[in-house]
Amino acid sequence: MWSGEEEQAFRRVLERYQQLHPNVSIKNLGAIRDDTKAIRAIVAGAPPDLFTLSDPLYLGAIAAQGGLEPLDELFAQSGLRKEDFVRGSLSQASFRGKLYAMPFLVDAYALFWNKTLFREAGLDPERPPQTLEELRSAAIRLTKRDASGNLKQLGIAPVSNRSFYAGDIPLVMHLFAGELTAANEPKVTPDSSRNLRAFEWSAGLIEAMGGYTKVNAFAAGFGQPQGGDNPFFKGKLAMMINGQWNPYWAETYAPGLDYGVAPLPYPSDTPERRNATWLGGNFFCIPTGAPNRKEAWKLLAWMQTEEAQVLFADTMHGVPNIRSVLRNKKLRTGEPWRYHYGKFFDLVENGVPGHFPPLPVSALYNNSLLDAYDMVLDGKKPASQALKHVRERVQNELDRYP
Amino acid sequence: MRNRYGNEVRGLAFVSPWLLGFLVLTLYPILATLYFSFTEYRVLTPPRWVGLRNYQDLFTDHDYFLPSLYNTIFMFLELPVATLLSVGIAILLNQKLRGMAFFRTLFYLPSVVPTVASAILWLWLLNPEYGLVNRTLDLLRLPRSEWLQSPLWSKPAFIVMDLWMVGGGIVIYLAALQGVPQHLQEAAELDGASAWKRMWSVTIPAISPVIFYNLVLGVIGTFQYFTPAFLMTGNPPGGPANSTLFYGLYLFQNAFAYFRMGYACAMAWVLFVLTLLASWVVFRSSARWVYYEGER
Repeated sequence: MWSGEEEQAFRRVLERYQQLHPNVSIKNLGAIRDDTKAIRAIVAGAPPDLFTLSDPLYLGAIAAQGGLEPLDELFAQSGLRKEDFVRGSLSQASFRGKLYAMPFLVDAYALFWNKTLFREAGLDPERPPQTLEELRSAAIRLTKRDASGNLKQLGIAPVSNRSFYAGDIPLVMHLFAGELTAANEPKVTPDSSRNLRAFEWSAGLIEAMGGYTKVNAFAAGFGQPQGGDNPFFKGKLAMMINGQWNPYWAETYAPGLDYGVAPLPYPSDTPERRNATWLGGNFFCIPTGAPNRKEAWKLLAWMQTEEAQVLFADTMHGVPNIRSVLRNKKLRTGEPWRYHYGKFFDLVENGVPGHFPPLPVSALYNNSLLDAYDMVLDGKKPASQALKHVRERVQNELDRYP
Repeated sequence: MRNRYGNEVRGLAFVSPWLLGFLVLTLYPILATLYFSFTEYRVLTPPRWVGLRNYQDLFTDHDYFLPSLYNTIFMFLELPVATLLSVGIAILLNQKLRGMAFFRTLFYLPSVVPTVASAILWLWLLNPEYGLVNRTLDLLRLPRSEWLQSPLWSKPAFIVMDLWMVGGGIVIYLAALQGVPQHLQEAAELDGASAWKRMWSVTIPAISPVIFYNLVLGVIGTFQYFTPAFLMTGNPPGGPANSTLFYGLYLFQNAFAYFRMGYACAMAWVLFVLTLLASWVVFRSSARWVYYEGER
C-alpha cells in the first residue's frame, strides 16, 4: 500500500518480525493502493492472510458483507487491553460492536500556522487562533490579493478541496460537536443543527476569503504536499489543518520555516471541543477464509509492541496507537521537527479525537458530503437542503444493507 | 457423413480459441451484467433480485444520474467542432507544398502522447494561476477563465483539450483525401468550378463515408467519456460541483467505490441502449449525406 520511502519503512518492520520469528514467511505484495484488489481476491476465493486497507471508509462495507474476520476473540486471547490503545484507534476499526481491523499507528490532524506571515499581518505570532471565531478573523486578515483581485496568499487551506487535501468537512462537523450518526439507531444525521452550522461556517469562510471559484483556482496552483512546492512551506497558505507527517517534510523541504502546531480551534460556545483532533489511518484486516489467520494475528499483535510501534513511527512519522508509546523519548526528542511532531502525541493522548464512523456506506456518505459542500459553495443549493439530500441518499442506501 | 462436415468441424476447431474466448470472456459477462442489473449486487455477497428497482432509482436521481447524463451529452458539442477542425486541417495538409511531411507529423504528434501524460500537461496548461492558456489570454487582453476549477468552464476545458488531440482523425481524413478521384477534380476545374465549389461538390462527398465512420466512432466514444475526467478532476473525481461527473465516471464510482454493482450494471445497459439509439439516428441520416462510389 505504501510506496517509496514509506514502503521501505514497512519492509524494515517486516524484516524485523522475521528475524524474531524465523519460521514465518511473509510475502509483501507492496504498493497496492487499490483496495478493490484485496476485495477481488476475497471474492475469487483466494484471500491473502492479511491486507492493509488504504481507505478506512471501506471497512464497514466489507465487514457488513462478511468479508472480514472478527478479531475480538484473538484480541482477548493475546492479552492486549483496550485501555492501552489510543482513544478512537479501535472504534475506527470496529463495526456493529465487533473489531474487524487492527491499527498500526494513526494519523492525527492539528492546526499549522506560519509565524512569519502572522507577524507580517500584525497578528501575535506566538498565539494561534483558539476559537473558530478567531480563526476566521485571522484567516481573513491573512488573505492577500493582487491589484486585479487574484489571490496571492490564502488565510487557511480550504477543507474538502479536490486539489489539495487539508481535511474534510466531517472534521469541521466534529469541531461543532456534530454527530454523523444517531446514537442508538441506524440513522445518519448529516443535517443536524450542529452539522448545518459547521457547513455554513465553513462555506462562509471560503466566501470571505474570495469565494469558491477564486479559492479553487488558487488551490489548483498548489504543488505536491510532499515536496518543496507544498503551499504551506512556500508561504502561500498562512494556516492549514493537516497531519503529523508534515513536520518532518517541512524540515526536509523548507528548513527555515517558522511555524507552530496547535489543537484544532473550537466554536466559542462549544468549549467541550477544546483540544480537538481528527483521526485517520491505515488498518490491517484478516479476510474471511484466510488460510493462516492465527499467524496473521500474531503479526498484528506484535505490531502493538513498543518495539514495532517505535520502529515504524520513526520512519513513517505516524502517531503510535499505544498510549504508553506516546511518551517514548526517542520519537519526541532530537531533531527540531520532532518537537512539532510530539505535539500531535499530546493531542492524541489528552485531546478530543473524532473520526468518520465506520458504516457500510461510509464512502458514499463522505463523498456525498463533499459534493453537497461543493453545491453549497457554488450557490446551487442552500446548505439545509443540500444536507437533507445527503441524509436521504445515504439513509436510503444504509437501509438496504441487511 | 464425416466427409460432409469435416471441413466445418476443422474450421470451427481452428477458430475455437476465439470462439471460446468470445463466449466465456465477452458474451457471458455481458449477459451476466444484464442479470445483475435487476439485482442488488454488492460483490462480496450474492446478488439479490430486486426487479426494476435499479432502473427506477436511476431515472428519479436528480442529483447524480441525470446530471451525469447531461454532462455527457454536453460533450457532444465537441463532435461537430472536432469534425470541422480535422477535415479543415486535413485539407490544408493535403496541399502539395514543400515540407508538408513536417506539418503532418506535427499535427499527429499529440495523439501519440499517452493519455496520462497529456492529462498532466493540460492540468498545467489550464492552470488558472500559472497556465499558458490563461497567460496567452492575458496577452491578447481577453478575459481569463478558471477552466477546470469552474463548474461553468470545466466541460469546455475538456473540449479544448480534446481538440488538441484530433490528429488521429486528421490522418484518416488525409488518407481519404488522397483517394479523391483526380479526374473528377480536373473535370470540375475544366467546367469552371471554383476551388470552393470543387471542395463542396467533389471533395466533401468523396470523403463523406469517412466522415460518417468518424462520426459513429465519435458518438460511441463520447458516451464513454471517462479517462481525462478521472485523471484531471482531483480526488474524488467529478468536481467542481459535479460538473465533470460524466456518465462513465459515475458508473465507475457506483461499481468500485460504493459497492453498488447492480446499479452500475443497470447504468451500463442504459448507456448501451442510448448508444445504440444515437448510432441508429446517425446511420438513418447517412442515406441523405453519405455518398458511396458506384451509387447513382
